[in-house]
Amino acid sequence: MQPFAYARPATLADAFALLDEHGPDACLLAGGTDVVVGLRNRTLRPEMVIDLKQVAELQPAISEEGSWLTITATTALAGIDEDQRIHARFPALIEAAATVGSAQIRNRATLTGNICHASPAADTAPALLAYGARVNVASARGTRRVDLDEFFVGPGKTVLQRGELVTAIDLPIAAERRGAAFARITRRRGVDLATISICCVVESAGRTVLAYGAVGPRPFMVADESGLLADPAARDGAKDEVLRQLLTKASPISDVRGSREYREAMLLVMSRRALRASLERLRAA
Amino acid sequence: MIGTSQPRAGGLARVTGRQQFIADINLDHTLHVKLVHLDCGHARIVAIDTAAASEVYGVVAILTAADLPQPVPRFGPVHDDRPILAVGETKYHGQPVAAVAAETKEAAEAAAELVRVEYEALPGVYTVAAALDPDAPLVLEPGLRPDDPLRHSNVLRELNYGWGDVEAAKADLVVENSYAFPMVTHFAIEPHAFIAAPDDGGVVIWTATQNPFQTQRIIARVLGLPLARVRVIAPDPGGAFGGKQHPKYEPLVALLALRTGRPVRLLLTLEETFQEVRRTSCEIHVRTGFQADGTISFQDIQSDFLLGAYADVAERVITKANYLACGPYRVPDARITVRALLSHTTPSTAFRGFGTPQVSWAHESQLDDAARRLGLDRVDIRLRNLARKGEAFVPGDTPCDGDWAESVRKAAGAIEWGSPIAAGRGRGLAVAIKASATTGASYSIVRLHWDGSATVLAGTSDMGQGARTVLAQVAAHELGIPIDSIKVVMGDTAAVPFDLQTSASRSTVFMGQAVARACRDINAQLRQMAADLGLVANVSVVELLRARFSEVRGEVIGVGSYRSEHQPGHPLGGSPSFYEFSCTASEVEVDEGTGEILLVRHVTVADVGKALNPQHVEMQDEGAAVMGLGHTLMEHILLDDSGRIRNLGALDYRIPTTKDLPLEMLALVVENADGPGPYGSKGAGEGGLMATAPAVASAVTEATGVVIRDLPLTPERVWRAIQSRDL
Amino acid sequence: MSSTPIRVTVNGAEREVEVAPNTTLLDFLRDRLQLTGTKECCDLGECGACTVLLDGRAVNSCLMLAVEGDAREVTTIEGLSENGRPNALQDAFLAKGAVQCGFCIPGQVMAARYLLSRNPHPTLAEVREGLSGNLCRCGGYVQICEAVLAASEAGT
Repeated sequence: MQPFAYARPATLADAFALLDEHGPDACLLAGGTDVVVGLRNRTLRPEMVIDLKQVAELQPAISEEGSWLTITATTALAGIDEDQRIHARFPALIEAAATVGSAQIRNRATLTGNICHASPAADTAPALLAYGARVNVASARGTRRVDLDEFFVGPGKTVLQRGELVTAIDLPIAAERRGAAFARITRRRGVDLATISICCVVESAGRTVLAYGAVGPRPFMVADESGLLADPAARDGAKDEVLRQLLTKASPISDVRGSREYREAMLLVMSRRALRASLERLRAA
Repeated sequence: MIGTSQPRAGGLARVTGRQQFIADINLDHTLHVKLVHLDCGHARIVAIDTAAASEVYGVVAILTAADLPQPVPRFGPVHDDRPILAVGETKYHGQPVAAVAAETKEAAEAAAELVRVEYEALPGVYTVAAALDPDAPLVLEPGLRPDDPLRHSNVLRELNYGWGDVEAAKADLVVENSYAFPMVTHFAIEPHAFIAAPDDGGVVIWTATQNPFQTQRIIARVLGLPLARVRVIAPDPGGAFGGKQHPKYEPLVALLALRTGRPVRLLLTLEETFQEVRRTSCEIHVRTGFQADGTISFQDIQSDFLLGAYADVAERVITKANYLACGPYRVPDARITVRALLSHTTPSTAFRGFGTPQVSWAHESQLDDAARRLGLDRVDIRLRNLARKGEAFVPGDTPCDGDWAESVRKAAGAIEWGSPIAAGRGRGLAVAIKASATTGASYSIVRLHWDGSATVLAGTSDMGQGARTVLAQVAAHELGIPIDSIKVVMGDTAAVPFDLQTSASRSTVFMGQAVARACRDINAQLRQMAADLGLVANVSVVELLRARFSEVRGEVIGVGSYRSEHQPGHPLGGSPSFYEFSCTASEVEVDEGTGEILLVRHVTVADVGKALNPQHVEMQDEGAAVMGLGHTLMEHILLDDSGRIRNLGALDYRIPTTKDLPLEMLALVVENADGPGPYGSKGAGEGGLMATAPAVASAVTEATGVVIRDLPLTPERVWRAIQSRDL
Repeated sequence: MSSTPIRVTVNGAEREVEVAPNTTLLDFLRDRLQLTGTKECCDLGECGACTVLLDGRAVNSCLMLAVEGDAREVTTIEGLSENGRPNALQDAFLAKGAVQCGFCIPGQVMAARYLLSRNPHPTLAEVREGLSGNLCRCGGYVQICEAVLAASEAGT
């Protein structure tokens, strides 16, 4: 690890000032599970590491206001698992968060970090996308809200500009019933990076949203507005047709975790399974 | 005492964090070493510029090949082929070209990054096919083996074994297939680490080796020192599995310590450890002849084993494993042709099973194929062909030394072979046999102190197998004293007598006998002492010692040894002392949609002669089985076109976790007290992984109908096979 | 680069120290405090050998800067035993034969301690889930999980 300075601002204003002062030589730190690896591998060589964990505005970790549930940037994945509101309203996010690393990792890694790292395989991304999350971005120059679907640009790249940071992720609280499920393929049953990941949300009104990770340069989502996927009476063949159409947006590559062909095939297999599980849960809801 | 599950010696220190591993040793004024390597498999080194690196504050020394004695000393357990640092070329991804020693590890890292190496990437040999290409670059300079007719090829050695006449053999069915076994790495949780310090005209080295005496010999030769001036201290390794059997960077750190006059320490990262050791991969082509009733008529085996850039001990791996390439079966006619090929990859070395998992993958899968074609039960075909006790299944060599069929029946029973099974599930059963230690020697000194306690000196390495506990049990039993009053001292060439090495599951047999004999030597002295003192025969040891050593004190020293001498002309240098026989049975469930395998139940049976410590045997066998599931289901080193390891590190090289365990595991033993070790014991601890792959693959075949002959059985590979089936 | 003062409680003892920001908690514990029971292996958060408790939560100390330990409480394997005596969980590891080479064991014990603090009576599946971030290459998982279940029954 190269030498660097460390600051723990108490307010967002202080954090913005540090960000502006150090520009490209600043690095934000929340959970650290990606950042510290980067520092050690020297792929990150900041002059200044800005630890956000003491920023007053980022508390409380999880809050509800109106029809939005807000999860701040320093909220660890374990904190998400421990929140009953999220269990009740966003169970697929719980499932997704539970697959990120080990218990030790989830005690440190943050939801926001998982998103800002912008790995195409980020496990929480499909769940957040499918639930319609938006990202709160702030800088010394003000704040803006970005739909998560607009937030990702490519591997490791987001719309964040220099001087900006993410303060929180908002999730819309749905009034209607829905069924949701998260699924993934990995090389082993224990902790692993996803070969593909998927989240499905079926709304009682008939709309089905499917979001995917690790099958393109960035996580993405698609929706079936026709109601066919959500229709319990529809034939499997007809559903497969719709799924195949939706999945044309995927552009998986071959890497050490799996080949393009396997990923393409698993997209359909896992989409069917996630859809089935979502429908069952909708019925049970 | 014998046959009881005594608690693990050293267990308390391990659960409280007090056990000292190499990295936990802190010497004053130590320099930290960082290695410099290139990001490609094979390259010509044009120039190395250390100017910027040497400016880094805290840097004390930077070594390149040019700074070493010329010609640069080379070493290895069998061939002296590996240079201390790369000379002229790097021959595998991760071979060090320079070493930086600095006051802090940060300074060493920063300086290592500033060592400028100008190099030209060269075409490399990364596969069997490439190694055999007549136009391929030569991995080993012909000048290093001037008298070897193979020196202008990448074949290090060609082996031919066999008996009978395969060409004339008659068969009702000939099964012909090719099998592949991947490169896998040891992944001991303790990364390799080395410390060296100048010491009284010589050098002392701390290394977590399985082989302190070989390390001592090699360093003495490289540095031109007498053995007695090279002291190797070998604290208990944090896992070894063969990866810590032979010297790697010990000569380099020893040289650095002498150059700088200070202690130096080199802690490899896990990634560097992966680049240092691996299992030999191979491609095996087999023709097996069968009679209609399943009797094996002949085996015709042609194998290519892909070694790394240096021979290390891999040639021995291949020699020994292929000697038993036909498995534990009666085979009237056999022809085994093996090539050991060099490549520009991590040097392959000893790894639990020592080549047996590779050869059993082929011979066991062949039996399953034949059973399917002949409509025979897969257990029956094995029982029909298994050698019986006393049968010389390799003509002229150590005959079958166990009731191997008993192990098979036990495993079959435990997996409920033949009972109805749910759709999507399958069972498999496979056996494997390993030739144990052949030649070798172990010495022990036991000191019975005047108060009746004893110190056992044994050069074995306790790397997790529990040798410390078992040797203490042997001594307690022989001396008739409590195990709590025995201390086993290991791992210091200046303190303990010679032992060949901790390998080949040999320690219980070789060192166990040496300790038992040393104790018996003491007992003989005690009997004489009692007679001299005119004491009655049944006087206790403590009373006798008190009577003898009442005033000036003293102790009784016993010496024991166990040797197996070299047999000239024997293909292995000597007959195996015993065979390690193992049977694995597995039940799996396959998700046909994704190719994922769920292990429902997994059984191993080991023929151990006598389990001196049943709990230790169970731990070793289950542990071996879990390790076997690694190469069976998920582990493989992937190389890119320039010979770089694509999945370097724990993130993308996957080994089993708690969640990858079979739902149920059983480790059973067969005990007929028919081994050459103390109390009829045989070596144990490798068997549990030797037949994992063919057992699981056979179960997958029963579940899905697909036959897979490449490992590992990743979800994708299984899925692809199912796709081909459904075409 | 200058050091940063921190006040960290390690195994019950508060310490005021200066640390360089580019020091991991793992290096700080091992190199500065000589608490070498916490082990280094993968440096990626994949193996769990470096597991310690931070304010009672299991974390990989290789993925944390020492400066992040300011005003926090760290418990290492050395902090579990009392006067060198193993606690009931450590005893269970010994009794069940969970220890082979032992290099992963401090991390396993800390992960198990955390698991039992959150879930005093886990099922076998929960133990396997809870310890899935701790690799053991000796493959002693069956006995490790048995040890955790035994400690749970004993009410630790």
